[in-house]
Amino acid sequence: MASESKDGKRKSLFSKHDISMLGIRSNLVQASFSYERMHAPGWTWAQLPYWEKIYRNDPKGLKRVMADNMEFINSSPPLYPILMGLLLTMEEDHVEPTTIKGLKNALFGPMAGIGDAIFWFTIMPIVGGISASIAKNGNVFGPLLFFLVYLFLFWSRMPLAHLGYNLGTRAIDVIQENSKVISHVASILGLTVIGGLIASYVKMELKLKIGAGNTTISLQKQLLDKIFPNILPFAFVFLLYWLLKKNVNPIWLIVLTFAFAIVMSLIGWM
Amino acid sequence: MDVTFIQGLLIAIWAMIVGLDCWLQAFFIFRPIIVCTITGLILGDLQLGVIAGGLTELAFAGLTPAGGTQPPNTVICGIMTVVIAATNNTAPATAIGLSLPFAMLMQYILLFFYSSFSLFMSRFDKYAAAGDTRSFKRLNFIPLSIVTLSFGIVAFLSAYAAQGPMHTLVSSMPQWLTHGFELAGGILPAVGFAMLLKVMLKLNYFPYLLLGFVIASMIPFSNVLPIALVGGVLAMIEYFRSRETNKLESELKKLKNNTGGDQDGI
Repeated sequence: MASESKDGKRKSLFSKHDISMLGIRSNLVQASFSYERMHAPGWTWAQLPYWEKIYRNDPKGLKRVMADNMEFINSSPPLYPILMGLLLTMEEDHVEPTTIKGLKNALFGPMAGIGDAIFWFTIMPIVGGISASIAKNGNVFGPLLFFLVYLFLFWSRMPLAHLGYNLGTRAIDVIQENSKVISHVASILGLTVIGGLIASYVKMELKLKIGAGNTTISLQKQLLDKIFPNILPFAFVFLLYWLLKKNVNPIWLIVLTFAFAIVMSLIGWM
Repeated sequence: MDVTFIQGLLIAIWAMIVGLDCWLQAFFIFRPIIVCTITGLILGDLQLGVIAGGLTELAFAGLTPAGGTQPPNTVICGIMTVVIAATNNTAPATAIGLSLPFAMLMQYILLFFYSSFSLFMSRFDKYAAAGDTRSFKRLNFIPLSIVTLSFGIVAFLSAYAAQGPMHTLVSSMPQWLTHGFELAGGILPAVGFAMLLKVMLKLNYFPYLLLGFVIASMIPFSNVLPIALVGGVLAMIEYFRSRETNKLESELKKLKNNTGGDQDGI
């Protein structure tokens, strides 16, 4: 099936504009989000006009594809354009439904991993961290920078949809070959930045002085900073990390942070 | 200052726009840095909005829905941080703490939606089985409208209707408590970073975390861009290296297969 369409230019039901719109429509995946099916209804909604075109004279096929796609789907929203483009070529080539189902099972999990690693754990801390540090001083360029970066990411859904559609089944190899390397490399970049963010933006300084009379020393400036600057924020982050590993709910960590800060303020240590 | 009725309505409309974006995650204008800025504009204090946006964004840097837990809602937190700071003349860092209960309320409303929207699934299934595309498309607008409206209502009630009690509360807070909230606002980013680490940190990545931390502690700079560049360099080195390794591995495999084939032949 794929071999005959690969050589030469295959004729397509869809124009370039249609495929770009598929990228834009991929924003609908979370429309009817629920724990039961996650993205399924929105995912189906986004692609519905395209299936209507493919199965114009085949009501049975349309019912089949709608029902198939209402099964549980969960992957990374910003990467859906690639997946939608890829699956659209397969629907167009009338690939066996069981093959498509198997492919979804094989691809969606790894794609969720890469997507989260790139978009939430790398781009978000970097862009958020940089624009927030500009905004903190009252500079409007901060929010503007943030908006522009994410506007670009919104726009990039269009070329991503074309990528998935044009690569077709070849995209599977590309994704499987690179998914490990990409999330590995994104983790390196992300963790380096998080290390920097911990040092720069977690503010903890002791006011406490020890000693009596003329021989008082400031615990922060003359002891902790001498051992290592920012050692308190680093230790606190790892305390919370340890609690998270013990499956403590993040809400409790927020409560703990407030309780800690208020006690520190009350006894005058910070 | 007080939030006027018109300002309350404008905030509600703004909350509906960014609330919808928060649900769909399309433009990412639901992040505090954008939410606060425009809320500041509505209240006539853009400067305050931008500053509050920077601080709140940092507090939420790692609090993402990607880890599997829904964090306090960024839309309501952003709006209320600016509203509380503007109406009570408190520092934005203190206001973040006071806005959190509102953000958690919205978080629980969203969690309720995530569970209860399962009710729509049988209708979706019915339309799918019948190939009824028109009804299927239309049904999606019901959850979307419910979400959008609840953002508007929560924002209006929190920003406009609750400002009196909020003012009484803030003005009756003793100095140590206000200062405690301000401290907490500065420590709060730690929660998000810890959550990021929970998902990302494996022992072999620890050196990178430490390196970023050490650079930021030793070299003074105004934002994290230099560290992002260092991280980028390390990532590139590792990328080229692992590509090389992959190539070697596949060549080794080929060699192995060849000799294996020969032995089979003999």
